[in-house]
Amino acid sequence: MTYKVTEEGNIATVFLNGEIDMDVTEKAKEVIMPLIEAKKEVHLNLKDVEYMDSSGISVLIESHQQATELGTKVILKEISKSVLKVIMMAKLEQILNLD
Amino acid sequence: MNFEETQNFKIESASLREVRVFARELFKKNSIFENHTDDLVLALAEAAQNIVKHGYNNEPTEDEMKIIIKFNNNVLSMELMDKGKPVVPSNIKPRDLDDIKAGGLGTFFIGQIMDEVVFKTTKVNWVNHLILTKAF
Repeated sequence: MTYKVTEEGNIATVFLNGEIDMDVTEKAKEVIMPLIEAKKEVHLNLKDVEYMDSSGISVLIESHQQATELGTKVILKEISKSVLKVIMMAKLEQILNLD
Repeated sequence: MNFEETQNFKIESASLREVRVFARELFKKNSIFENHTDDLVLALAEAAQNIVKHGYNNEPTEDEMKIIIKFNNNVLSMELMDKGKPVVPSNIKPRDLDDIKAGGLGTFFIGQIMDEVVFKTTKVNWVNHLILTKAF
C-alpha cells in the first residue's frame, strides 16, 4: 500500500493505493487517525485500492467512529469496484459516508 | 477439468499477499472462476488471516500453514492446515452486522462466499484443518 495526502483548508484527502490487508492496517491508521484527531474532514480516495479485506474494512469503521466522536467526518471517495463490493457485503453502505 | 495445487506459507501477515497471488494465479487459469475470483481470494485470505491473527496471535513462529486448492467434479475446495491454537468450531460465530464495530467480519465474509465451512478433526500432523467448499 502506498498513499498520498493533500490538504486544502480543513479537508485532508488521503489517496490510498494498492492492497489493504492486515499487513498494512497499522500504516493506514497512522496516516488517517492523526488527521481525524486534528479534526480535519478526511476524504479517503479509494480509486486505486485494488483489494481490501476485513482488516481494511475495520480501518474504515474505526476511522468513521473516531471522526463521529470528534465531531468531524470521514468520506469515502471514488470507491473502486472491488472495495465497494466488500463494503456492501459487510452491509456498511448505509453506515459509512460514501460519495 | 480437475486440479490440485498445494503450497506452504510462513505464518505472518506479510504472507497474506502471497496467499492471494497463489490463489489468483490458479483461478486465472480456469475460466469457470472468472466471475468468482475476487470473492474466492477474499475467502481464502480471510481464513489465512485468521490463522495468523487468532491461531498465532500474530506472533513470530517457525511454523508454516499449508494450503491446498482442489477442483474436482465441479466442486472447489480450499483447505488450510496449521499447528496453531486449536480452534473450537462452536466458538466461531460470524459477527452480528447490526453491531457496527471493527473486527470479526472475516468469518462473515467466508460464510457469505463459500457453500460450506468445516473444521476436519481427524487430520494427522496438523492441529487445525479448515475446509472451505463451493460448488460450480
